[in-house]
Amino acid sequence: MNERKPGLLETILVHTVLVAAVAYALYPVLWVVTLALSKTGGTEARVLPLPRGAEDLTLDNFRLVTGVGDPEKGWLFARQLVNSLVVSCATALTAVAIATPAAYALARFDFVGKRTGLRGMLLTQMFPGVASAVPLYLILDALHLLDTRSGLVLVYAATAVPFAIFQLRGAFLAIPVDLEEAAMVDGATRVQAFLKVALPAARPAIAVTALFAFMSAWNEFILAATLLGRESAFTLPVVLQSYVGEYSTQWGAFAAGAVLVSVPVMALFYVAQRQLLSGLTAGGVKG
Amino acid sequence: MERSRAGRALHALLAVLAIVATILFAPACSEPPRGVVLWHPYRGGEEAALKKVVARFEAERGVKVTTLAVPYEAYLSKLEAAIPRGNGPDVFIGPHNRLGEYLLHKLVAPVGDALPDEDVPAYEPVTVDAVTHEGVRWAVPLASKCVALYWDTRLLSEPPRTLEELAAKKGALGAGVWPLAYESHSAYYHAALLHAYGGALFDGGFAMIGPAAERSLEKARELVTSGAAPDEASGDLLKTLFSTGKVAAVISGPWLAADLSDDLPYAVAPLPEIEGVGRMRPFLTVDGAFLSPDGAKREDARALARALGSSESARERAETGKQVVATRAYWARADGERPAADDRHAALLRAFRDASADAIPMPVSTAMNPVWVPAEQAIRKVLRGDATPKDALAEAKARYDDVMRPPPPSPSPAPLVIMIGLGLLAAAVAIVRRVRAPGFRRELEASKPAYKYVAHAAITIFVLVVLPLLAGAVTSFFAGTRDDPRFVGLANYVDILTARGKPLLSHGSFYLTLLVTVAWTVVNVTLHVAIGLALGVALARPMLRLRAVYRVLLILPWAVPSYVTALAWKGMFHRQFGAINALLATLGVEPISWFSKFSTAFTANVATNVWLGFPFMMVVVMGALTSIPKDVLEAAEVDGATRWQAFRLVTLPLLKPTLLPAVVLGSVWTFNMFNVVFLVSGGEPDGTTDILVSEAYRWAFARNSQFGYAAAYAVIIFGLLAIMSRVLGRVGGGEAKEAAS
Amino acid sequence: MSEAPHRHAGSSALRAAETPVPEPAERKLRCAARGIEKSFGATKILRGVDLEIPEGTFAVLVGPSGCGKSTLLRLVAGLEQADKGTITLAGRDVTNLPPRDRDVAMVFQSYALYPHLTVRENLAFGLKLRGTPAAEIESRIREASAMLGLEKLMDRLPKQLSGGQRQRVAMGRAIVRRPTIFLFDEPLSNLDAALRAEVRVEIRRLHDRLGATTLYVTHDQVEAMTLADSLWVLNGGLVEQKGPPLEIYERPRTKFVATFLGSPQMNLVAGKLSKEGGAFWAEGGGVRTRVDEERFGDALVEGREVTIGVRPHDLCLAKGDAPIVAELKVEIVEALGSEAFAHGWIRSSGPTFVARLDAADARSVRPGSAIPLAAAPSAIHLFDAKTDRALGD
Repeated sequence: MNERKPGLLETILVHTVLVAAVAYALYPVLWVVTLALSKTGGTEARVLPLPRGAEDLTLDNFRLVTGVGDPEKGWLFARQLVNSLVVSCATALTAVAIATPAAYALARFDFVGKRTGLRGMLLTQMFPGVASAVPLYLILDALHLLDTRSGLVLVYAATAVPFAIFQLRGAFLAIPVDLEEAAMVDGATRVQAFLKVALPAARPAIAVTALFAFMSAWNEFILAATLLGRESAFTLPVVLQSYVGEYSTQWGAFAAGAVLVSVPVMALFYVAQRQLLSGLTAGGVKG
Repeated sequence: MERSRAGRALHALLAVLAIVATILFAPACSEPPRGVVLWHPYRGGEEAALKKVVARFEAERGVKVTTLAVPYEAYLSKLEAAIPRGNGPDVFIGPHNRLGEYLLHKLVAPVGDALPDEDVPAYEPVTVDAVTHEGVRWAVPLASKCVALYWDTRLLSEPPRTLEELAAKKGALGAGVWPLAYESHSAYYHAALLHAYGGALFDGGFAMIGPAAERSLEKARELVTSGAAPDEASGDLLKTLFSTGKVAAVISGPWLAADLSDDLPYAVAPLPEIEGVGRMRPFLTVDGAFLSPDGAKREDARALARALGSSESARERAETGKQVVATRAYWARADGERPAADDRHAALLRAFRDASADAIPMPVSTAMNPVWVPAEQAIRKVLRGDATPKDALAEAKARYDDVMRPPPPSPSPAPLVIMIGLGLLAAAVAIVRRVRAPGFRRELEASKPAYKYVAHAAITIFVLVVLPLLAGAVTSFFAGTRDDPRFVGLANYVDILTARGKPLLSHGSFYLTLLVTVAWTVVNVTLHVAIGLALGVALARPMLRLRAVYRVLLILPWAVPSYVTALAWKGMFHRQFGAINALLATLGVEPISWFSKFSTAFTANVATNVWLGFPFMMVVVMGALTSIPKDVLEAAEVDGATRWQAFRLVTLPLLKPTLLPAVVLGSVWTFNMFNVVFLVSGGEPDGTTDILVSEAYRWAFARNSQFGYAAAYAVIIFGLLAIMSRVLGRVGGGEAKEAAS
Repeated sequence: MSEAPHRHAGSSALRAAETPVPEPAERKLRCAARGIEKSFGATKILRGVDLEIPEGTFAVLVGPSGCGKSTLLRLVAGLEQADKGTITLAGRDVTNLPPRDRDVAMVFQSYALYPHLTVRENLAFGLKLRGTPAAEIESRIREASAMLGLEKLMDRLPKQLSGGQRQRVAMGRAIVRRPTIFLFDEPLSNLDAALRAEVRVEIRRLHDRLGATTLYVTHDQVEAMTLADSLWVLNGGLVEQKGPPLEIYERPRTKFVATFLGSPQMNLVAGKLSKEGGAFWAEGGGVRTRVDEERFGDALVEGREVTIGVRPHDLCLAKGDAPIVAELKVEIVEALGSEAFAHGWIRSSGPTFVARLDAADARSVRPGSAIPLAAAPSAIHLFDAKTDRALGD
């Protein structure tokens, strides 16, 4: 847009809107943080999410969740953290690995069944997964992937693939065909053109897709708890969920866990900000 | 240079892949040693105690025991999935009232010699009763759980004898201090009152009806309206109020003690009497060690179950796990040892044990499950003053009976078969036509390279996404539970689409819920897009200070797990203690009872879901904005457009192609956004804010596991969304397609 | 190339020698910019530029990339704001007004058509925003589309048009507006050569037909020469020279202008002035020529270090007793049919040198041969070796 300096009034207005939005975005999160840091917990009748006082502040909830002072539990927590990271990263990699060639084919080739496939993929997003845990369990059992993290990764990745394909297909559509054609004229095979030209050009979109897949795996707990058979294999959300009991919830620990779980995602967001934008730009989620 | 950089990146990637693969596969492939497998839902002290007990058992018997703590949320579905496949535990610990479900899904076997007749006198009789069903003992009772009265020794000099005496303390305790707090909205807690009046929740059917039930509700309402007890008290709130001296007594279970600070002066007593009526009697649940059918065949497993209940184990579980153990020997010894005066912990356990003497074991039948929701809806309605106890209860019973209506008789499969047949035929004709079409072979031949690219995606999606969904769709032709399915053809669909024979827009009918769902989707997506656009445009301004900071903070709702933040939002909407009402109070607005009216409850849900969803739209808009050519906007400026005109006439139409798919996806996600509705309003008031998906979940999980019915809902939702996306695609995509041609 | 001094800093003698732009008194200024300065960050783009465009004039800003010509245009349009200076349009101070209040129309390099609107809607857009009555919009569109031959394209979207068609739509969009001034930002750079020549003529024709006032930015000297009534050569954020294009061509005031206009470029050789037999000669790098004493007057001082400039077109094969100005060692002959250019060196190590030859003369010239060249003394340009400014101006 134009580079004229915006008026003071307008600047103030824009910042007011943004600050209001930030307040809206931050407010509940601050409550969760306060809860995590509070001895007595609770959010009673206070406007600002501030701790009740210095004496109410504690790191006990974080100690409890991470198992500080209890080597066995601390070790377990560390393993579960690593599990979460590994499972989520593997999910991101697998989803991208599966989705990228398919998205490329859907963007560049004409083939029998293409339209059906595209439509079908959108349709998978529409079926509410009420109680699909048990059928998945049976399928993984049949594939001998039960109780393995690779099985879980496969399930997560499969769930993330349709959306990933949409997004990546949009990105590939936005890349001029000339680039690959030039490569092929220069002697590249189709596969080489895909790997060496189209793929690098779609890098931001791939990063975003990976981020989405990562997050879906990072926060999931029902399938993880159902499909994994050992505590040392559990991911963090499962651990987090164990603070919710039938009769009571350990709110402080739950909140502390949530804060811990969010930190890596926020860090990723911060690092990937630019990619996130340009990735969505490059064709975005065009259908 | 370029080459070496790429090479290094490739090496790094390979290294990461190698590490990931090692971690993924290495430990994953090792089979757990074949010992005894024990599952439990415990954490904290209870878990520590269990581990010690297990360690002793392992040492004594020389058997390896593998324990697994499974979160409560996933416990049943995991048992249900694992045990029939032979992957489940040999022994598992669970509350006795789940026995009905365990039996239904064939997850348990009688305990046999794990609880022989000679052991029975060693346990509290009430606990043995609880695990006995139709004359067979199904578990070794471990510990009992029931509620009792926690009282603050600073505010009260002695435990109140009657409820009235306690309620009368109102005013004498100081400003802002309640005499009593309990989860008045919960049927589990209300049951104590109900039982005092001689009523019951369940007697094989919905039993909360008649004068006793009505009087109990009147009593509950009196407690709240007189200011003796706060409204909408959640477990978390009770803890806070009690910890900060804002309430003299709370009704809660042993779990509260774990959350209270050690220096808080309090004691526990059995529940008080209601004057002229009788003692309040809470529900009792007994944690038992159950044997899976495989486990029951193994001597080691039976021995483990027996050892878990032994008196040594009981001592450990009582002292480390703070459990109210079911083993009498522990209490006998404890009585003999005369605990030290300051041993609060022992006193606490004893108080709960005393309270359990009056408690009523929770019914075991699966038909008990569907009682909770209608009962709670009735309780809430009465507490809000929306209905008389009589009417509310009559309605609740009607709802229960409706849910429990026996599935329709197996119809002739003809209509379904014909429909499916016709469908298949149409598909076959279409395929044959396509195959016969000239040039098809050539096309197919030409498609071969493309298939190499899509094959693995197609297979993965089909096996792990489509198959489970198809399995779900097939269930929709069945009634009853998963283990006892009965083919009913299209009866579930007919039932849903005819609003179960009631008026089409009656309470909880498919059509009313559909209306709510559509309103929910439209309002949410509109706000998502509006806010996303506003913020996206604001952040795209040139020379904006703090842009990066704003961007990250505004994405925050996306980063924090929604199941936590949704609950935080629910807390913020609490009538008496929520931050929103506190905020409104500073503006001079009267506190709003958010979940008592459809409009406000819906608003609360929307506020939460908009919060969760706007960052996605914002990011999409920011991305799309950067792809709009700058000079087109300048041309508009030169052409005389104001900022607003340029936005409306140029920016917006140019954003449309990118925004439209995001809107379609967003609508689909919102339509199926189960989490928020379930966690924030929970359908309140009276199930009116439920959307189609949450209704489907209720049929699957809260209404006698009617998976077929839930699946039919899912299929209908699927159909609706498929139609919607096509319409949306056609409306928005029309011009784009035209332009492309 | 060293920075040219500010034009107005010159002496009164200089100013007197300046040939004024034809500027009859009754013609009012449509556009005037005074003392414009503009920086982006630390980079100074414009360093105090004045611009005057009388009504009905076709003014062209020309200069190498980065000279600030586009920025100046955008300042006039209101798309950028000047750090210093004022801009008036039709006598109105618009310095602080947004584009919509300036009544200007602009044709962008990329045309900037609204991709979601048809040709007709694109044309009507600006008029609708101004609340022009529908009938009026219709008649203006009809007129403009007839003028540009767009009638058959009215319901197409921009992406369904060829480059030339889009360009015409962009002009149509400006024409219907009937603005105070038309602004063109390198409008032909995305067209192929043949089309470019065609549209160039059309733009000039439209300008005359509409009696419009136009400010046109280009880096192409052919466009600049052919289109302009008044040409403004910008360099390094300053106006290097202004005036009618032919005058600038014939009397470039700096070495920069001399080389920037004209194709092939003017040949330049370092040399010295000498006086022989009462006549001044310029000599150096194998070139020796008499100079026009009348033109340079007092500037001719014996021994002065100068740069000698002569355009290829002013050279010819020396025949008969015409004085030989230089001897060209030919490397390549470019025969264009009607004429030919001989490229080569004056000395084996000297700068490259180009001479235009008549087609007939060129036939006998072979690469490797040496040919004598002649030039009229009046065609010889002299620049001060230090300041690069033309002598005698």
